[in-house]
Amino acid sequence: MSEQTDLDQLRSQVRAWLDANKPRDWRALSRTQDDFVKTQRDWFQKLVKAGYAIPHWPAKWPGGGRSLAEQKVIYEEIARADCPRLLLSFVSTYHAFATLHECGTPEQQDHYLPRILEGETWCQGFSEPNAGSDLASLKCKAERKGDVYVVNGQKIWSTMAQFADRCLLLVRTSSDGPKQAGITYLLMDMKSPGVTVRPIHQIQGDEEFAEIFLDNVEIPVSERVGEEGAGWAVANATLASERGLTLMELSYRMRGAAWRIAELIRKNGREEDAGVLRDFGKLVTQLDVATAIADQFLENRIKGIEGAGDASIVKNTYARALRDYSLLGLRLGGLDEQYVKPITFGDLNTGNWMADFMNSYAWTIAGGSDEVQRKIIAEKMLGMPKEPKGWVL
Amino acid sequence: MGAVIERQELHDAAQKAFPADALKPNRDESWKLVTEMGWLMLSLAEDAGGLGLGRDSAAAIHYEMGKALGTAPLIPAMATVQAIGAATDLADQAGWIERVTTGEFVTTNLSAGDVTGDGDALSGTLPAVPDADMASHVMLANPGRAALVPLDAPGVTVTERPLWDESRRLFDVTLDGYVLDPALVMATGAAAEALTRRLKGEMIFALAADSLGGANTILDLTVEYLKTRKQFDRPLGMFQALQHRCADLKVLIGAAEALLWSRAMQPDATMAEIGGLKAHATEVYRWVCEEAIQLHGGVGLTEEMYCHLFMKRANLNVQLGGNADLWRELVGREALAAAE
Repeated sequence: MSEQTDLDQLRSQVRAWLDANKPRDWRALSRTQDDFVKTQRDWFQKLVKAGYAIPHWPAKWPGGGRSLAEQKVIYEEIARADCPRLLLSFVSTYHAFATLHECGTPEQQDHYLPRILEGETWCQGFSEPNAGSDLASLKCKAERKGDVYVVNGQKIWSTMAQFADRCLLLVRTSSDGPKQAGITYLLMDMKSPGVTVRPIHQIQGDEEFAEIFLDNVEIPVSERVGEEGAGWAVANATLASERGLTLMELSYRMRGAAWRIAELIRKNGREEDAGVLRDFGKLVTQLDVATAIADQFLENRIKGIEGAGDASIVKNTYARALRDYSLLGLRLGGLDEQYVKPITFGDLNTGNWMADFMNSYAWTIAGGSDEVQRKIIAEKMLGMPKEPKGWVL
Repeated sequence: MGAVIERQELHDAAQKAFPADALKPNRDESWKLVTEMGWLMLSLAEDAGGLGLGRDSAAAIHYEMGKALGTAPLIPAMATVQAIGAATDLADQAGWIERVTTGEFVTTNLSAGDVTGDGDALSGTLPAVPDADMASHVMLANPGRAALVPLDAPGVTVTERPLWDESRRLFDVTLDGYVLDPALVMATGAAAEALTRRLKGEMIFALAADSLGGANTILDLTVEYLKTRKQFDRPLGMFQALQHRCADLKVLIGAAEALLWSRAMQPDATMAEIGGLKAHATEVYRWVCEEAIQLHGGVGLTEEMYCHLFMKRANLNVQLGGNADLWRELVGREALAAAE
């Protein structure tokens, strides 16, 4: 009971702080990528100072030491207040933190963690042109020469790498044995000689991802996390570090944005169109379902319950709802939505329905595609037999 | 926390009494069993002598009955017991509570009727009345008046309507100038409306729970079948095309259940919220059954296989208590008003 009181108190504190400090015009200030990055950096620093940026870090860090239940409260309030999501600092505060915290040396932790709080931006160098869903087949090659690894290869789909100071890099140090066994985890300075970053122009006019080209890049051996060849285990240990908070937050935001569809219905004078009302009603329940499953997943994790495949159900449910939300807006918006309008960076429910539709693919493809999640559900939850390994023509 | 443990206990007890591998158990024996187990007391208010458990407890029972294709009329029974317990005008209310919690069955209609009448002489039909053959009374929930009608009274005719669904029985109850017994009036005016809303809400919620229980069983059975049936020298379940379809069904069911149990813990849920859930859950059930038959192939169309039993019950659940067209329109209308 007192735990509940503490949570309620935290909720009022966060709410009061957000009322006074939340950025109110961030959408208007996020019409270009550069402006978006600036609003992200400002917001992150504000949250760091207020003690709400890194609730999942240990207590010795300012604002750290929060339980998962407390983290949930903070995220719920940030979503309800319609503040920007922390996108630019996501890799640094979650993946980089978890990697360093769980597998890094004390020297690496002391060096990097304070810099993350100061705003150092990190990106992830995992996927490659020929290693997407089959990540373990990655080929970016690192050869040990004395105290350094010399790295050559290419990475792709690295979120906002063009703004990053550091990169979490998976490289191949050996081609012997199982493909997972030859992978090593390195921390790379993005300003190292031989690193070239090229933003990917996406179909909605965004440049959220970039390619990274590595040409004889030298990375000191001291920047390795874990042993040589242990990179796959390190990556797996830290990939799920955000523990369902993101999807809970995104579901709340999407549910909160149902008014955008209502606005369209009114704008087009369809308030008494039973067919439109049914489609809207169906969507609203679908958004409620997405919120309920994300919430349940997190509540279960707070209690220490998690089954194999649970996270996949949450992700596919959200992704489907996000697509359907944008599709209804697109349909009701009519021809008007086919004329180009300004996009808003850093938001998935913007009311620019073509942009929202195109953006929704981020959630059916990135972070383990819908199809990869289905495989996990079929094999791990339903116990269906694995496909035989090896491909015979 | 306490509520969650109690709910799990109910799931366990119900699974023991009605295991999902004995589908479509005998109705009269089931009714005796549920009466003995005290399930009719679960949702009855504490001050009326019941256990006063929340909607989640009743839903746990309905969910398990859905899993086993239960045949006892628990959906109307648990709702009418609650209504009788909450009635404001019913003469001998204590006596009624005693009777309906120990095995006497009061049924009610699961689809809108057209009963009208001058004064207390009523005429019209109550459609979709479950198991009227074993009921003593039907609860009539009309705007302005809720009352019990004895099924053997003059002016009352009971006609069975054969159903595709073999796990349920439905009747039309026709009133022809039936004169209400003042001692059987449960509530009038605003109190009757509140009682009617409550009765309807409980039954619609129960249909959602029944549907997701049933969807779980038929998916489990389908997956098991795909693991054992071999073609091209391998189990069908090894084909990714089929795995992905099963996974999609699992996602739909798992997510819908999250909404079921979260709404079950929300006593102030509106009719639109409950109706939206009911529309979603029943449509999920119907779709899982549609896929189950296709995934079984030809054998799914045979009477000896279980697929059709679930498919028929799912289609009935879609229609009982108002279908998706009705509820989705209401959800849309209310969400539109809320976004004003």
